[in-house]
Amino acid sequence: MKKIQLKARIIANKKVSSSHYRLILEQKDILRKARPGQFVHVRVNEGLDPYFRRPFSISRAQEHLELLYAVVGRGTEILSRKKAGDELDLLGPLGNHFCMPPKGTRNVVMIAGAIGIAPFFMLSDYLRDKNYELTLLYGAKTKTQILPMRSLKDNGCRVYIATDDGTQGIKGRVSELYAKIPIDTQKTFIYACGPKPMIDSVLAFAHPNHLKGQVSAEEIMACGIGVCLGCATKTKTGYKTVCKDGPVFDLNEF
Amino acid sequence: MDLSVKIGKVRFENPVTVASGTFGYLEKYHDAKMIKKLGAITPKTITLKAQEGNPAPRIVETPAGMVNAIGIQNLGVDAFIEQQLPVYAKLKVPVIVSVSGKSAEEFILLASKLNHAGVAAIELNLSCPNLGKKTLIAQDAKATEAVVKAVKKMARVPIIAKLTPNVTDISLMAKAAENAGADAVSMINTFSAMVIDVNTLRPKLGNFTGGLSGPAITPVALHMVYQTAQRVKIPVIAMGGISNADDALQFLIAGATMVAVGTASFLNPQAPYEVLEGIQRYMKEKEIKDIQAVIDSLIKE
Ligand SMILES: Cc1cc2nc3c(=O)[nH]c(=O)nc-3n(C[C@H](O)[C@H](O)[C@H](O)COP(=O)(O)OP(=O)(O)OC[C@H]3O[C@@H](n4cnc5c(N)ncnc54)[C@H](O)[C@@H]3O)c2cc1C
Ligand SMILES: Cc1cc2nc3c(=O)[nH]c(=O)nc-3n(C[C@H](O)[C@H](O)[C@H](O)COP(=O)(O)O)c2cc1C
Ligand code: FES
Repeated sequence: MKKIQLKARIIANKKVSSSHYRLILEQKDILRKARPGQFVHVRVNEGLDPYFRRPFSISRAQEHLELLYAVVGRGTEILSRKKAGDELDLLGPLGNHFCMPPKGTRNVVMIAGAIGIAPFFMLSDYLRDKNYELTLLYGAKTKTQILPMRSLKDNGCRVYIATDDGTQGIKGRVSELYAKIPIDTQKTFIYACGPKPMIDSVLAFAHPNHLKGQVSAEEIMACGIGVCLGCATKTKTGYKTVCKDGPVFDLNEF
Repeated sequence: MDLSVKIGKVRFENPVTVASGTFGYLEKYHDAKMIKKLGAITPKTITLKAQEGNPAPRIVETPAGMVNAIGIQNLGVDAFIEQQLPVYAKLKVPVIVSVSGKSAEEFILLASKLNHAGVAAIELNLSCPNLGKKTLIAQDAKATEAVVKAVKKMARVPIIAKLTPNVTDISLMAKAAENAGADAVSMINTFSAMVIDVNTLRPKLGNFTGGLSGPAITPVALHMVYQTAQRVKIPVIAMGGISNADDALQFLIAGATMVAVGTASFLNPQAPYEVLEGIQRYMKEKEIKDIQAVIDSLIKE
């Protein structure tokens, strides 16, 4: 293997909201190579159960490699029980990455649904101090599931929140916040990451307004490296693998 | 230590290959030095024309395995010859090219395009609809025989018939392939399978059904390989969840001539190399000089 299957030592695995954990890992090779939008493919257990690795966006890569994950099923539940000092087997960094906004961009709007916020911490580390107006539109179920956003705010990002139950920010879906997106086809660039219905709502807003941007897609993955063709997603130019051709796609590919 | 095996007139340095559809995109993630060590590689099945594959989701995880319905997404044979074969040639690893067609004529056309130096052998993926009938070619001994016979007539490289386990007696299908002149059989393809989402009341695969692979199928595959190896004289290339040297050795001991690592590579991309190294270690420890002494060495009384 060309050094993509690597061991990582867990430095910390801490609960950061009612259902999310931050996993801090010692993994120099991935740390050095990682670009915003890329992911790692994590083997959560030795043995054959669960059988697939689990993909997680790289959420930060400063001193250490950081992942943010929601506990939603067996794999993430097992991961949440890992302790500092434990070792994990990772493939990474995998996939393509977010491109930098095109020349002339002033307004960068990141749209996150739930744990889809993960890659935007790293993206904002790249976009800070570059004279962009950074905005995050962030949708979550409820107040207790909102992740701490200090580093995003430190990077100069303005944050608007929507919760399904209205316990923080405005009540409703993140799409209620799209009015904050400056409709300027030359100066606005969008990044979106979240569940499929949210991505659909972003497309439904961006296309008629001719806005440019990129989305990070999700599909169930087996190999994570473009071999099995299991994670294919339909684009305008045919099926593409989310793991190798993506996870980042131009808005107009859908 | 001699690990070499033969399929037809072609000699492979060692018995370890990979299962079609589970190993590829070598240029980016695999070390040329490691790939070269494998006995052969078997890329994903190709068809005459490009195929776009099945709707998502195409895969679902199951206990110790997975169900897939990829739909033989591929670029088509001409693009394969132009873009992929040169990559393998550069890597200097023997290639077993897997092909699939809808009729004997299509198989012949595919084989005629691949009938040249640079292809070590051709594997006929017979798990494809048998035109005009409800069964797959590999579920019909006569159809299997007809396709293999037709291809063998014009082939200049060894012809391998890949069989499906979704039959009453796979060894009968292997026998039909042997009678038609096949140089080897490759077995097993995946088991027909499905998984349902109880919340949506829908199947979890876009294609409704798919094929089960991985360690979950290993003991069944092993029994099928054992039965078949008893029945035919041509070599058996074995696969079915092989994940480590112990698995691979069981198939060799049961009578397989080559072993292929498939689904296991998704969890552990090093699996094919680890299988090879493990077989070498086993032979060294047991002071076995020739792999032939391992093949079909099961004590039966
Ligand atoms: C490129 C990419 C980046 C991701 N980044 C993150 C992240 O940073 N943080 C985070 O919490 N989650 C992320 N996800 C989703 C995460 O992979 C799933 O939540 C996780 O695999 C669920 O595993 P489980 O065993 O807990 O759930 P189960 O529901 O038990 O998993 C069953 C199967 O479905 C797959 N699966 C379930 N949900 C998803 C999903 N949303 N996307 C893809 N596969 C899924 C699992 O991998 C597994 O194969 C990402 C997914 C992709 C494709
Ligand atoms: C994702 C996936 C794709 C596959 N594609 C092909 C294929 O294109 N042609 C083929 O003959 N077999 C294909 N197979 C079947 C494997 O080659 C193999 O026969 C089967 O999976 C059993 O071995 P395993 O359990 O080790 O994977 C595929 C299997 C998987 C899991
Ligand atoms: S997960 Fe195998 S191709 Fe993407």
